[in-house]
Amino acid sequence: MLAATIRRTPLLGKMFEVDESTGLSDINTWPAMMIMTSFVWLVVAILLGVGMPVIQMAEMGSDLFYTAITLHGAALAFPFLFQFMMGISLHRSGGCMGKPASGKLTALIYICMNGGAVLLTLAVLGGLKITYTVMYPLPLVGAQMGAWSMNMVVLGFTGIALVLTSMIFLYPFQIIRMSFFGEQREELLLSARSLKDPGMLGMVMSIMILLVTGTPLMIVAGALLLALYGIVPLEAVTWASEPVVFQYVFYIFAHNLMEAMAIMVISAVYATLPLYLADGTRKLYSDKLANLALWILLVTSVTSFFHHFYTTNPGLPTALSYHGNIMSWGTGIGAAFSIFTILATIWKHGIKPEPGLMAILAGFVVYILDGVNAMVAANVAVSYQIHGTLWVGGHAMSVLIAMTLMWMGVLYHHYPVITGKKLDKVLGNRFVTLYTIGAVGLLYSFAAGGAMGMPRRFADWDAGGWMSVGVAILVFGLFLIAGFFTYMQSFFKSRAIS
Amino acid sequence: MLLFQLPFLLVFPFIVYRKCFVDPTPSNTGRGKLTRIETVWIFSAVALFVIANVYSISYMPMSKTAATEASGVAIQDVDVTARSWSYEISDREFEVGKPVRFSVKSVDTMHGFTVYHPNGKILFNMMLIPGLEKASSLVYTFTEPGKYKVRCLEYCGIAHHGMQDELTVVKATDKSS
Repeated sequence: MLAATIRRTPLLGKMFEVDESTGLSDINTWPAMMIMTSFVWLVVAILLGVGMPVIQMAEMGSDLFYTAITLHGAALAFPFLFQFMMGISLHRSGGCMGKPASGKLTALIYICMNGGAVLLTLAVLGGLKITYTVMYPLPLVGAQMGAWSMNMVVLGFTGIALVLTSMIFLYPFQIIRMSFFGEQREELLLSARSLKDPGMLGMVMSIMILLVTGTPLMIVAGALLLALYGIVPLEAVTWASEPVVFQYVFYIFAHNLMEAMAIMVISAVYATLPLYLADGTRKLYSDKLANLALWILLVTSVTSFFHHFYTTNPGLPTALSYHGNIMSWGTGIGAAFSIFTILATIWKHGIKPEPGLMAILAGFVVYILDGVNAMVAANVAVSYQIHGTLWVGGHAMSVLIAMTLMWMGVLYHHYPVITGKKLDKVLGNRFVTLYTIGAVGLLYSFAAGGAMGMPRRFADWDAGGWMSVGVAILVFGLFLIAGFFTYMQSFFKSRAIS
Repeated sequence: MLLFQLPFLLVFPFIVYRKCFVDPTPSNTGRGKLTRIETVWIFSAVALFVIANVYSISYMPMSKTAATEASGVAIQDVDVTARSWSYEISDREFEVGKPVRFSVKSVDTMHGFTVYHPNGKILFNMMLIPGLEKASSLVYTFTEPGKYKVRCLEYCGIAHHGMQDELTVVKATDKSS
C-alpha cells in the first residue's frame, strides 16, 4: 500500500517508485517515503529561502519576512534534512544489519515528524513568528502582547513536541532496535557491517547523542505543554518555564543535534568512500584513525554548546566560557583527523569520478570551510563581536547545506538499490557543480555580512547598508536552487538498470 | 579564518582532482612516509589548537574587564534595561578613554545589546536572558568620539528590527563643558 502511495504521488512518485521485484521492500519502502516527503519540505524551504531577500528588496513588510524566516528554518532543519537523513540511514542500517526498516515504529516516526511539522506550519501561518530556535519565552510574551494568539502557541508547541518526539525518542529507538535486537534476515543483508566499522559506529553514536541530550528538553517541553493544555497549572511547572532553564536544555540539544547529524554524515562518508576507490580495495586508510576522529568529535561536541552563552557573562561564568572555547576548538582536531583519513585514502587508492562521490567530497569541503567559520565564532573574544550576526546564521545554514550535499551524494549510491534505476552522470556532475558554487558563495556571503555587523533574523537589511549582501545571498541561493532542480531532474530521467 | 581555509581549499581539491582524473592508480607512497605525514599532521593540529586557545585568553572581554577593574581606574557604571522594543539607559553620554561598565538586563523576553562603532563595525554585544540573577556585564573603554548605534541582535518579535538606541561619546573636555 505504501509503495502504491509513492507510485501514485504526482511527479515525485516517478522518481522514488520502489523496485518491489528485489524482495527488499522492508528496507526500501519507508526510506523512499521519507526521502520523497523530505523533498516536498525542501521545496517549501527553498521557496521561502528565496522569498526572504525578495521580500526585503521589494519592501513587502517585516511580518512576511519573519513568517518566512520561521518557516524556512523549521522546514529546512527538521522535516527536510532530518527526515532525509532518517530515510537514508534507516535504509543503510537495514542493509548493513539485515533487519527490516519497516513496521509500526517507523510509521510513527513518519507521522510524528510530518504531522508535527504541518501543525507548526499552520501555527506560523496563524501568526506565530518565533524562528526555528523558538526564542523562549518569546512565544508566551508575544501572546501576552497580542502579537499572536495563545491558541497558535499551543498549536505550534504541539507540533514542535511531535517533531522532537520523532527525533529524540522514536528514531533512536528504531536504530537501536535494528542495531542490537531482532533476527537478522539474510535476504535483507546487502553489505554486512559491525559496530567496529566507522560507518556504523558513527550512526550509533549519533542516535545516542540525540537520546541523551534530547531527553532533558523533552521533559521541560512536556511540562510546558501540559501547562499550555491546562492539565497542570503554570505555577506547578515554574522549574521548567524559567527562560534560562529552557534556553540551556534547548541548546544542549540543538547544538548536539547538529553535531550528531555531522557525526552521522561523516560516518556515512567513511562507509561510502571505500566503495568508489579506483583500485577496488574498499578500505579506508585507517579505520582506527577514522574511529578516533568520531570519538573526538563526540567527546568535544557535548559541552562545546557553552559557546551559545558566552555573551551572557557573568550569567555564564568565565571558566565555562573558556571551557566552551576549548571544546569547540577540540572538534577541529576531530575534523583534522577526518581530513587526513579521507585524503590519505584517496591518495593511496585513487577514486572513481562518480557524481555521488563528488557530491560527498564537495559537501565535505563545504562542511570543513563552515567548520572553520564556526571555530572562529566559538572563540570568546570573536564571539563578542559576531554573535547574533549573519555570520552565526550563515554557520547554521551552511552546515545544513553541507550535510544535505553529502547526503544527496550518499543517496546517489543507494538510489539504484531502492528504485532499480540508474542515474544520469552528466546531470549528476552538473548538480554537484551548481550546488557547490551556491553553497560556497552563500557561506562567504553570510560570513561577510556578519563581519560587516549585519544582524541575523532582521527585517531591515537596508538599515546598515547591507543590501549588497542580500543581493549576493539571492544570487548564490539561485545557484543552489539550480543545483537542486538538476538533482531532481536526474531522478526524473533515471532509467531502469535492466 | 582564511589562514585555515585557503591551504585546505588548495590541497583538498588538488589531491581529489589528481587522484580522480590525472592518475587514479594506487599511489606508491610507502606506508612509512604516510605514517610520518600523519604524525606531523596530528601534531600540527594539536599545536595549533593549543596556541590558538592560549593566545586568545588575553583577548577575552572578561580578561580585559578584570584587568580594568584591578587597575583601580574609576569606572562609570551604566544600567540598561531592555524590553520589547526599547532600552532604558541610565546614561547615554560617555568620555573617550574612560572605562564604562555596562550592566544590562531584560525584563520580558530574550534581547541583545550590541554597540556599533560609527563606521558600522560591532564593538561588543551581549545576550540578555530574562530572569538571570546577574545582569550581563562588561567594561568597555571608548577610544573615539562619535554617535554609537545600539541594536538588538536577538530576535524578539515582530518589531525586533526597530529596537535600537544611540550612545554619544565625547572628548573628555567636551563633557565637562
